[in-house]
Amino acid sequence: MTRTDKRRHRMRKMLAWSGYTLLLVLLLPLLPYAIQAANDTQNNPAGYTPPTVVNPIEVPSPGAELWREVRQRDGSYVGDTQVKGVETGVLINKAGEDWRLFRMQMLVPYGAILMGAILGAILVFYFTRGTLRLAGGFSGKKILRFTLSERMVHWFTVALFWLLAVTGLILLYGRFVLIPLLGLEGFSVTASACKEAHNLFGPLFLFAMLALFITFFKDNFYARGDLKWLSKAGGLLGGHVSAGRFNAGEKIWFWLATLLGFALCITGLILDFAVVGLGREAMALSHVIHGISAVIMIAVSFGHIYLGTAGMEGSFSSMANGYVDENWAKSHHDLWYEEVKGTAIDAQEGKQGGGVPSGGVAQARRDI
Amino acid sequence: MAVMKFYCDPERCIECNGCVTACKNANEVPWGVNRRRVVTIKDGEPGERSLSVACMHCSDAPCAAVCPVNCFYTTDDGVVLHDKDICIGCGYCFYACPFGAPQFPKVGAFGTRGKMDKCTFCGGGPEADNSAEEYTKYGANRLAEGKLPLCAEMCATKALLAGDADVIADIYRKRVVNRGASVFNTGISYQNSTLRNPKGTPGKASSEN
Repeated sequence: MTRTDKRRHRMRKMLAWSGYTLLLVLLLPLLPYAIQAANDTQNNPAGYTPPTVVNPIEVPSPGAELWREVRQRDGSYVGDTQVKGVETGVLINKAGEDWRLFRMQMLVPYGAILMGAILGAILVFYFTRGTLRLAGGFSGKKILRFTLSERMVHWFTVALFWLLAVTGLILLYGRFVLIPLLGLEGFSVTASACKEAHNLFGPLFLFAMLALFITFFKDNFYARGDLKWLSKAGGLLGGHVSAGRFNAGEKIWFWLATLLGFALCITGLILDFAVVGLGREAMALSHVIHGISAVIMIAVSFGHIYLGTAGMEGSFSSMANGYVDENWAKSHHDLWYEEVKGTAIDAQEGKQGGGVPSGGVAQARRDI
Repeated sequence: MAVMKFYCDPERCIECNGCVTACKNANEVPWGVNRRRVVTIKDGEPGERSLSVACMHCSDAPCAAVCPVNCFYTTDDGVVLHDKDICIGCGYCFYACPFGAPQFPKVGAFGTRGKMDKCTFCGGGPEADNSAEEYTKYGANRLAEGKLPLCAEMCATKALLAGDADVIADIYRKRVVNRGASVFNTGISYQNSTLRNPKGTPGKASSEN
């Protein structure tokens, strides 16, 4: 084995293990069900019975009139109190009802509609157009598209993003989707695990976003031809469109992801560190921004994932082992291909049992 | 079926914080948790009024609406309670509540929120009535003993009333009528009490002096 082979082998092993770890972290919240199920059959065959809930009778509160008056006082509803704490002098928190309406009547339904619509559109596209095949097939020559450090930054972000997205979505939709399946107690354990994971891993996402931004921003500025690329929808409508290392679609995704990502980080930190003592209005506003950003980012990420995997032949290898086929580069990123075509190597090179790498070229691509 | 409500009369509350002390004593709430608080507006100025605030046991409770784990329930008496075994301490109920009722003990290394604690109308929780477990988690269950919340029972000026909403509303109505009558010095209570009588609509916290 040559040195390159060994390094490749080590990297593949490392990627596999990080994959397993991610899977484990995502599956961990399911563990309580297994325990719950085992306990249920042993000790409590009837299962958990939630407390009786009755439909409250509409009885006007004797204080309704008084509180209406308090609410209508201009600004003077903040008083003094002996109780120490955040906003203890506030008699009426007016932001609460707005936030409730936003969360229950906007974020929950429209979030589901947005994510469902994009997922649906992708499925429709997949079943009508199928995987977009590589024009001219695989050439047998490959080009390095993403270096090891770029791939590490990408997958670090991916791992954190999905951990946070899944735990966040469970907290948002679990009451409607998971409680009927798992019961109140079963879901409580999951939600608790999700909340802890979301709050603990959340702050790390700031580092992921910073790394992602620093790594990729220089190739994501507007370039000539981007508007033309957009007007032709990236060649989806037929015809060939030129693009540099990243096309206009990828650039939009980059700026959208970093913008929403940083918004998520800042609002997330505000929500996470309740000890700082911000009031409920700041918290509610942060939650609104956090929710909208998260739902949009998740919905758009479906498109990004689709194009990087099943949607387009030859794309995934760029993030898996860093290489793309020469024909892929020519057809999707021809301007970039013109810059790097000298670094193309034999596709078999570096693979297990492959030939000896030719020193000069191997050195060249390591320097990219 | 009776629906339980609180009413605090701002014309009577003297900000003695007796209700706060009574609540802490009856329910043995941890440090930093205040199920009830007295808020004074215009402290030291003309028109000063005090109000004792806790969970108002709303009919359409915002806390219950936004709870991601659905841990709230309303009892037959119209008391809004929650199950601490299900609560995950996310704080959403605190954002939604107009009255600032939900309280969170600080636990963990970063002072993260523990399980929510709030006024139970001295009605305990989902555990067996007056069990040791119920007392540790939720405090007293005076309703099961046929008693009303201790805060209202202890109120020296009977400003804070608790009980069947119809009965409370009745008492409130009588008081308002009496106060209105006291302007002409024919009322039963508050006779000649022009010092405490606001110039605006009598008996209203919003009346400006």
